[in-house]
Amino acid sequence: MRILLENLSKHFGKVKAVDSLNLEIKEGEFLVLLGPSGCGKTTTLLLIAGLYKPTFGNIYFGDKIVDHLSPKDRGIGMVFQSYALYPHMNVFDNIAFPLTLMKKPRNEIEKAVREIAKFVQLDEELLERRPGQLSGGQQQRVALARALVKGPSILLLDEPLSNLDAKLRLIMRAEIKHLQKQLGITTILVTHDQVEAMTMGDRIALMHNGKIQQLGTPDELYNQPINLFTAGFIGSPPMNIFNSKIGRDEEGYYILIEESFKVRFPEELFQKLKEENLFLGIRPEHVTISLQASNNLIPGRVYITEPLGRETLLNIQVGNILLKSIVPQTLKVSSGDKIWINFDVNYCHFFDKNGERIKI
Amino acid sequence: MENYGFKGPIPIILLIIICLPIILLYGWLIISSFATRMEGLKPYGWTLNNWRFLLEKPTFFWQTEEETPNIWVYTFNTLIYSFGITIFTIFICTTAGYAISRLNFRGRRSLLALTIILHSFPSITLLVGIFVVLLFLGLYNRLFGVILVRVSLQLPFGIWIMKGFFDSISWDVEMASLVDGCSRLKTWYKIMLPLVRPGILALSVFTFLSGWGDFLFPYIFIPSKTSQTLSVYLRSLTADVRFVDYGLVTAVGLYYMIPIILLYIFAQKYLLNIYTGGTKG
Repeated sequence: MRILLENLSKHFGKVKAVDSLNLEIKEGEFLVLLGPSGCGKTTTLLLIAGLYKPTFGNIYFGDKIVDHLSPKDRGIGMVFQSYALYPHMNVFDNIAFPLTLMKKPRNEIEKAVREIAKFVQLDEELLERRPGQLSGGQQQRVALARALVKGPSILLLDEPLSNLDAKLRLIMRAEIKHLQKQLGITTILVTHDQVEAMTMGDRIALMHNGKIQQLGTPDELYNQPINLFTAGFIGSPPMNIFNSKIGRDEEGYYILIEESFKVRFPEELFQKLKEENLFLGIRPEHVTISLQASNNLIPGRVYITEPLGRETLLNIQVGNILLKSIVPQTLKVSSGDKIWINFDVNYCHFFDKNGERIKI
Repeated sequence: MENYGFKGPIPIILLIIICLPIILLYGWLIISSFATRMEGLKPYGWTLNNWRFLLEKPTFFWQTEEETPNIWVYTFNTLIYSFGITIFTIFICTTAGYAISRLNFRGRRSLLALTIILHSFPSITLLVGIFVVLLFLGLYNRLFGVILVRVSLQLPFGIWIMKGFFDSISWDVEMASLVDGCSRLKTWYKIMLPLVRPGILALSVFTFLSGWGDFLFPYIFIPSKTSQTLSVYLRSLTADVRFVDYGLVTAVGLYYMIPIILLYIFAQKYLLNIYTGGTKG
């Protein structure tokens, strides 16, 4: 089912939790609402679920406005952060609950519950247990089964992985994505974890202060951040972002980073950069390292190394600023070593003083 | 686990000393109800005579036999009274507690404040007012009238307690049930009520006990003998200034206590819930 949000707003008193949101979610798409806590992503989800009523704006499912429909009439399945299983019912009754309310015949319910339990890989023997006797991962599967059992046309997931331990999270991440693709069900996932968003979503809507900052594929968000917020939010370790100034001396144009050191770029670039004050962003993996001095390289010193296993995160002191660089594990450097860095112009992002991306 | 102090016999001895007066009083009550005569704590001769009230009506010289109902009528009245209060209180407190905990309506905060004020209001000051209201409604001298009065006085505390229990249930569960296909009302009785069952049990036991032990309201608002409760009956036994049959009084007293003792034994863990289970404001 296609979902369309049109000028959707939700105000709590003076706080605009969701502020004139416009968003189209395509049929069968896996969309992730990503953002820091308090950005309005969960509120948006609850609006779509019908658990909140919008202050302004409309929500369409297909071509129909559903604003007036209560949650039970919207044809949605939902998984909550805390799983929200009913502690006083056993697992079978939990999964069967939506069907019981629809007054389906007993044998039909029985069949549907066992089928969906199998689908989410829930052991048959667990059906008789109480939710309290299950592990986090199993509870998660029960919650998924309960959301899917009535065959909803939209699946809403509210931080479904945040209560799982790291290993299980990795497993469930892949599993939910697989499940969604198998069912082809329109899915909206809310998360504050960018890795989750990048790995699971077909598209990501990055939210901040009740507004969508950027909507796009994971690739677009990572490689072409539209503003400083996206640039800083997506990516771990985060992008190096510097307050910069364009200057010119006898050798030509340069960019002065944090009033500290100069970086020289090809002349063509400066024809496109009109503003004198701007922000320069570069991801840690695009800061190249050299152990020998040469022309145009910027001298620095290793401040501290953080081995990550597959690669090493270097904190490098250049002038009076610190920047991060990811280097292969094979590069053996240690604190205090002198090194030289270079910024690859193809991977530099430029933002104007309002934080908007400057297209190069 | 570490044991922080409180070892050895000293704390136990201290506790026994503190409890001694209570133990002595109850001991005296039990012994006396089976004794022909008591001198201090010492019984002279054993008898079941004091318990004959279970079979026949005790008579007083100022009454004819027809005027006094037997003990079973009083017991029945007391049960009706206690259960009546419990049922009404639970019904109102679970609905009101839910509303105050979960629904956003005008005047919610003031209602909450009002219940606290009412809770701390000494009910004795309302006696005259209640009397007028009961008379006006034609409920004076009727058990039902007193039940209503008692319920209304029980409500602030009960609502507050139930609100606490509802507060402790996560919103997610309620939202899940709304998404799964329940209306708000259905969510209330299919999901929320089972989840606050410990609270309902605790409040039931508590309310039942307070009804069973209630004296003032039945005494004042039900002058008629046939609608009176055990506590009032017990008092009437000691009303005679010239001769009080302490054997009978203690026997009736013990009889009156039996349900409470039983209830305490079997329901103390539910009662504890009132103090431990989610009474956060």
